[in-house]
Amino acid sequence: MIQILLLIALVGFSILAVLLRDLLKAAISLAIASIFLAIIFFRMNASYAGVFEISVVAGLITVLFISTIALTKSDEDVRESKVVSILFPIFFILFIIIDIIVMKTLINRLTTIKYPSPTGSFGQVLWGQRTLDLVGQIGVIFAGVFAVIALFRKRDKNDK
Amino acid sequence: MVFTFILVPLVLASLMPLIGKISKRFLPDALTNITLLFLLIYSITIGRQIISSGTGIRQFVWFGQQMNITLALDGFSLLMLFLIALVSFAVGLYSINYMEHYGSKAIYYALFLLMITGMNGLVLATDLFSIYIFLEVAAVASYALVAYGLGQDELEASFKYLMLSAVATAFILISIAIIFGFTDSLRLHDVALGFQLLNSKYLVGFCTALFIFGFGLKAAIVPFHAWLPDAHPSAPAPISAMLSGVLIKVSGIYAMTRIFINVFGLSSAVSSVLMYLGVISILVGAIIAFSQNDIKRMLAYSSISQIGYIILGIGLGTPLGILGGLFHLFNHAIFKSLLFLNSGAIEQATGTRALDKMGGLAKRMPITAATSAVGSLSIAGVPPLNGFWSKLIIIIALVQAKSYGFAVIAVLASVITLWYYLVIQRRAFFGKLNETWKDIKEAPFWMSFSTILLALICIAIGVLFPLIIKSWLAPATNVLSAGVNYTINLFRF
Repeated sequence: MIQILLLIALVGFSILAVLLRDLLKAAISLAIASIFLAIIFFRMNASYAGVFEISVVAGLITVLFISTIALTKSDEDVRESKVVSILFPIFFILFIIIDIIVMKTLINRLTTIKYPSPTGSFGQVLWGQRTLDLVGQIGVIFAGVFAVIALFRKRDKNDK
Repeated sequence: MVFTFILVPLVLASLMPLIGKISKRFLPDALTNITLLFLLIYSITIGRQIISSGTGIRQFVWFGQQMNITLALDGFSLLMLFLIALVSFAVGLYSINYMEHYGSKAIYYALFLLMITGMNGLVLATDLFSIYIFLEVAAVASYALVAYGLGQDELEASFKYLMLSAVATAFILISIAIIFGFTDSLRLHDVALGFQLLNSKYLVGFCTALFIFGFGLKAAIVPFHAWLPDAHPSAPAPISAMLSGVLIKVSGIYAMTRIFINVFGLSSAVSSVLMYLGVISILVGAIIAFSQNDIKRMLAYSSISQIGYIILGIGLGTPLGILGGLFHLFNHAIFKSLLFLNSGAIEQATGTRALDKMGGLAKRMPITAATSAVGSLSIAGVPPLNGFWSKLIIIIALVQAKSYGFAVIAVLASVITLWYYLVIQRRAFFGKLNETWKDIKEAPFWMSFSTILLALICIAIGVLFPLIIKSWLAPATNVLSAGVNYTINLFRF
């Protein structure tokens, strides 16, 4: 029961993050949503995922969002199309219905396969078995950093 | 060592900002192009090894005792690696001249090399989550490259591309999570085996639908194509060539084909869905391309149409269909890169992409006009150029499989393609020279060199097509034709 309440809170705050017009409130809703997600992770014994979720998503990313919002000026209100606020709930409810039907069908009909789970600590699994993903992660970080350098560069006078 | 394909561009990319401090132009140009040439030669030499032994290479890379990287190289991934290396080498040469006026060449090359790292990693990965990570490496680098010009159009196109790609990756990630939930593993071998044991059409159907949304968006198949006609024309020409030439094929078609055919097993329902999506893409892409005035936008719509041919061939699922699809993928990478590079040369010389403002450019830009003619005739499927053979194989495969309706549409769309490419040639290069352009000059040396290189490859493949099929395409077709059994028997590590 608590699990269901937590999931509802997670989805509720995620929706608020999308629908709120005020960027600051949206960023805070997102942070609250990720705190709920972290609690769910902890309850499901995924403590490492919970720690990362709280420290990186709820903590670091929220700080980045809020400092960016604080640094920008709002010149004028950007009028968003009203279609979004009408279509979003419709698609959302549709998605939930499809999700419930499909997942119930799949979970009731199928048994899951169990492979021997990887042995060793979190660190050993990460370094010993997911090394290629770490290489990829380095690539993503470099791409992000270079993207920021490229997009905020000053163009020389003789450039186009 | 297969890991070289990932490690070398990644290391050079990370050093590039420092190299840029030492030398703004020469060292970044030289080092990037030497590396790309090395990767091209390496893919050919390692390819010979695979082709002669007839099996794939499994690679475990150990650093001390802790780290473990598993990669696999077989006929299909080799074809993609070779294609990435070939197109990126031509694009690298072209960038020497073209990227001069954009500034910060070192950062441009760093992002370009990261895009290549991402694509190479995706092709070599043997694990669903690794495929996802490398997909993101290539995607993040490409968002920045699309916006590299920093104009309003570029930034808007890049933002649209980023948003739709985020939706695509969300679908892919959900599907991977569900697969992990049911099979308890992410390795392609375990997943293939797990799906056979579970034997559930519901699970396969649902995961396939999510992957079609995700990878379909990456490959820009209609109706998931909305981002491509903005993103591809807005990017600098060499990046348009990379995006249309290889990125949509690696992150969309390669990943989708590998998973659908070698892991899930291509069912007749999925085969029909892919064929219908293919044929809709062919028609929608061709019809919209026909009415475009912006040359790069027209090429972008044409990419959607040609991706349709590839999906149609591979979706058919017969060995001949797969061969035709892969051959068209190979050819399209070359002639579409060539055409985008040519459009960049025209834009740089005239400052416009509008076809109605051009005219008679062949008199001032003979090399660009000639190579563009080769590219246009190839893509339109005029014999004996390469595009003719791949389209012919797809159509023969469709007729053999008694899919006459699809075959007729493929032929008709090919006629439309020929028509609009001839229209481009006439409007841009022939007729009376527009007075405004009387002082323009031919593209600089490296730009012309790379387009000539690609045009010669188009002609060479057209003439030597049996050799190309035997050496590069047959091993790839064998991998896909073997279906799920291939992964279960050969990816056992």
